[in-house]
Amino acid sequence: MFWQQLINGLMLGSTYSLIAMGYTLVLGLLKMLNLAHGDVFMFGAFLGYSFALLGIPLYWALLLAMVGAGIISLLVERFCFRPLRKAHFLGPLLSTIAFGILLQNVGTQIWGSEPSRYPQTMEMAQFQLGPVLISSVQLIILAISLLLMVGIDQFVRRTRMGRAMRATSENQINASLLGVDVNRVVRFTFFTSGALAGVAGVLTALVYLQITPFIGIRQGLIGMVAIVIGGLGNLRGAMIAGILIGVIEVMNDAYFTASYRDMIIFGLFFLFLMFKPEGLWGTTKQES
Amino acid sequence: MNVYIEGVLALMGINILLALSVYAILTTDQLSLGNAGFMAIGAYTSAYLTVKFGVALLPALIIGALTASLIGLLIGIPALRLKGIYLVMATLGFGEMVRTFFLNFEPTGGASGFRGPMGSSLLLIYGWVIVFVAFFWLLARSRLGRSLDAVRDDPEVASTLGLDVVRLKVWAFWLGAFIAGIAGGLYAHHMFYIESSNFNFLLSTMIVLYVILGGMETFWGAMVGAIIFSILPEVLRFMKDWRLSFYGAVLVTVMIIRPAGIITREMVRDFREWLGRIFHRARTWDA
Repeated sequence: MFWQQLINGLMLGSTYSLIAMGYTLVLGLLKMLNLAHGDVFMFGAFLGYSFALLGIPLYWALLLAMVGAGIISLLVERFCFRPLRKAHFLGPLLSTIAFGILLQNVGTQIWGSEPSRYPQTMEMAQFQLGPVLISSVQLIILAISLLLMVGIDQFVRRTRMGRAMRATSENQINASLLGVDVNRVVRFTFFTSGALAGVAGVLTALVYLQITPFIGIRQGLIGMVAIVIGGLGNLRGAMIAGILIGVIEVMNDAYFTASYRDMIIFGLFFLFLMFKPEGLWGTTKQES
Repeated sequence: MNVYIEGVLALMGINILLALSVYAILTTDQLSLGNAGFMAIGAYTSAYLTVKFGVALLPALIIGALTASLIGLLIGIPALRLKGIYLVMATLGFGEMVRTFFLNFEPTGGASGFRGPMGSSLLLIYGWVIVFVAFFWLLARSRLGRSLDAVRDDPEVASTLGLDVVRLKVWAFWLGAFIAGIAGGLYAHHMFYIESSNFNFLLSTMIVLYVILGGMETFWGAMVGAIIFSILPEVLRFMKDWRLSFYGAVLVTVMIIRPAGIITREMVRDFREWLGRIFHRARTWDA
């Protein structure tokens, strides 16, 4: 029972990690929160749904949903961040909330506000591993998430673009003086962030099998909890914290009262901000 | 008056109060994305008092608001250490915590909500609006108002000038929570029924949008923002299903066109001078 729950928690948590990583990439770069991120996630889930309905195989649908969500994230950058580069930091923050409202309502118009059932696109095989029963969907979710986590982490650390991202994050003016095309880096980061949210959207939909245009609200908030617990701007911290929250959530549902779940998560969030705002593993930049 | 218009006006008045509650906290350069939480505390407390104990509405409203402002103090003191994004997220977390608390709190109905509060009227709502507008009008002309301006512009200079910055910031939180608590009580007694999802994260952010888009430099901006953006969804009814999508697009556009808000301090000053000139002309004609 315990091991089974642990696996379920890891699976749920890894989708949270993907969302939290998307937040962190943008936050690390611009020191600003993109509160439309949860709704980009929702759009990713629905794009995957629409492609699956068209009969496109899962992996292709996943890839297309990634690209689609990435493009929506680029729109967020274009309308909420670029015109407001020099504004008070609240400007882009609130603008992204308004953009989120827009996305939710466009989503409602296209797919309706009733839950949409995700089509069964793949064979469900189940494997017995000692005391744990794992389905093929769970394995795929874990594998894709882990692959992306390691991939993004290594990308930021090792590639030329990753280096440009880190340089821009440290000081935009210095980076541009050294020949980094800051606008290109910002666009690339938003696209990657959105694509990660898109994958998380499709994977989450595969777990719950039902989606509505409002799933992004809670997932977006949970992603925010993860980046705080992991330490703002800390990519690895965000990944681990996302998984941790998933495990806490599943364990709470299994051994405690499910309806207290969000109270516990947001209580933890609040306590961290009040008493340990640097998170468990430290921030990249001390702002508080 | 027609019931529909009355309903729109009542919610507009409540939105004005909520915008003022955010403005009160902003006067010391702090932003709260959790005012729906203070509103919920005011709403549930006052509703419980009137329904279960038969307390009269006015004292119940005030007790509800005092409870909210007490919690505001408890939040405001540790929140002093936080700035920028951290404070935004902490208040947001607080709002969600309050919402999930009332979702699980059985004495006030839990997930099935709380039924029965009633007795709010346009007169009562706008009475409170006038009270707080008069308060902010006087505040802007007082020594305290100038101190708050100083804290907002530069807290370090303000404290060198001998102002008690900590006390002013905590006071602002207390006041904001109090106003939000009153608004919550009025809301509960206007709707006859409340549930925890009424006080969600979206409401908190909408209130802040009223203030930022209206203009955060003066309380007139907060008021105008609340009025325009409470009426806009009603005006947009002809767009039917696309109305809220369009509303979101309008919010994004206004932010791009006027990042400092619709009403700025300069506008208020120019308007005052213009009024002054007109009065002056009228007086010289008399003579």
